[in-house]
Amino acid sequence: MNRVWTGIRANVSTFLRTPLNVVLALLLPIVVIEGWGQAMAGLPSMPTVEAIPIELGRLLGAIFGVAIIAGLMGLAQMISARAADRRLVQTGYPPRTLLATRLAALGGVTVVVAAVNYGVLWLTISPGAPVLTFVFLVLAGLVYAFLGALVGALLPRLFEGSLVVVFLAMMDAFLSGDSPLAADVPEFVEYFPLYHPKELLQEAMFQGTYTTGDLGFVAGYLLVLLVLVTAVFGVTMRTSGGWSA
Amino acid sequence: MEASTTTKGEATSNKVLVRANEIEKTYGSSFPFTRSVTVLTDADLEIRTGEIVGIVGANGSGKSTLMNILVGVLEQDSGTVERTGTVGWCPQEPLLYDRLTVGETFRLFGSGYGMTAEEIDEAKHRLASKLDFEQYLDYRIDQLSGGNRQKINLSIALMHDPDVLMLDEPYTGFDWETYLTFWDLAEELAADGTAVTMISHLIEEQSRLDRIYEVRDGQVYDVTDQEGETDATASERGEETDE
Repeated sequence: MNRVWTGIRANVSTFLRTPLNVVLALLLPIVVIEGWGQAMAGLPSMPTVEAIPIELGRLLGAIFGVAIIAGLMGLAQMISARAADRRLVQTGYPPRTLLATRLAALGGVTVVVAAVNYGVLWLTISPGAPVLTFVFLVLAGLVYAFLGALVGALLPRLFEGSLVVVFLAMMDAFLSGDSPLAADVPEFVEYFPLYHPKELLQEAMFQGTYTTGDLGFVAGYLLVLLVLVTAVFGVTMRTSGGWSA
Repeated sequence: MEASTTTKGEATSNKVLVRANEIEKTYGSSFPFTRSVTVLTDADLEIRTGEIVGIVGANGSGKSTLMNILVGVLEQDSGTVERTGTVGWCPQEPLLYDRLTVGETFRLFGSGYGMTAEEIDEAKHRLASKLDFEQYLDYRIDQLSGGNRQKINLSIALMHDPDVLMLDEPYTGFDWETYLTFWDLAEELAADGTAVTMISHLIEEQSRLDRIYEVRDGQVYDVTDQEGETDATASERGEETDE
């Protein structure tokens, strides 16, 4: 029986049969995109702070919405399955194949989440480059999906892992997002996971173009995360000595 | 620390399928204010074809640790384990994917064993009929009772007809009928040459076991020929024993 296809189907089924996942993926974009947009637009009421346009606020809400959902999905998929994964690997299922099927399923879910966020965004803003905007939303989601998977491979419990992912995503979106409340941010913010996806998305949305350097940075980020999650997952799934099949 | 394997088909009658020598295991932590616990200090044992082997011992004596090392899901600190053939492992807690149905669980683990779709289907129906869970094949694991979940846990260990079965209290939650069926199955498998190894707590089971190993003070003692009960079974009944 084909291990890859069986594994992907199992991972997608696991996601779809967790009602909270589906509700979050469908409802959170509306709340976050509009909430973030209105919050940003409402800033002029504060002294010495100049607001960013509501469209940019909504865009930041969309990128945060994709990142937080994909990150939490990546985390939950790794942690909830950890003990059963060890048993599956013991049967002879290769750990790398198992991880690949999980990341493939996670990628599919991220595309759907990005599509929902894009749809909500599209209702209020007309993107300069629609396809690029969607692709860059997917990339932002993938970065956090892999990051969530990495945290899930490292930390044994969902509660601690969720705190890490949520806190990181909020800080990241806030500091990377041109917020007037986060002026004079240090230069290392450029290395935050959402900084370059946000630059790509903003450019595609409002100017219809993109910068190759930002795209390269995101690709590199994904590659590094992939290597890290593969290494950590491999260590956690290591068995001592095999049995002949 | 070493582990070696040989291929299926080399096993002959009464051949040693698993041999553990001088196994040591300590659970430690690099964090401050935590304690390390030495579980196994010099454990040796052999498991042969066609035997039903019981591993007994008091709570916390290291039975599950020993079994996990024999299966290969836990690394020993030192010592060697030689393994021959294929293994079916039934952990104490059902390690299954809660959101998958019983049928999907068989498919996923069967693909891990390298079985074909037909082989998986045949094993699923054979074991469902034997252990009486045919009506639950479309149920999700998290919708099953504890006893039925344990039946699936056991079936996943059995589905590929392994040479060695490693069972960690496999009958937890079974009703009486299923418990008896389990023993019939274990005896059938042993008669066919499968080495059945199980962690057991029940004194009345000892008459069914061909060999009994007791884990005590970090070591493994062959207490098969000792008359009466072991220290472990006595202490689990709350009686004083001589060390």
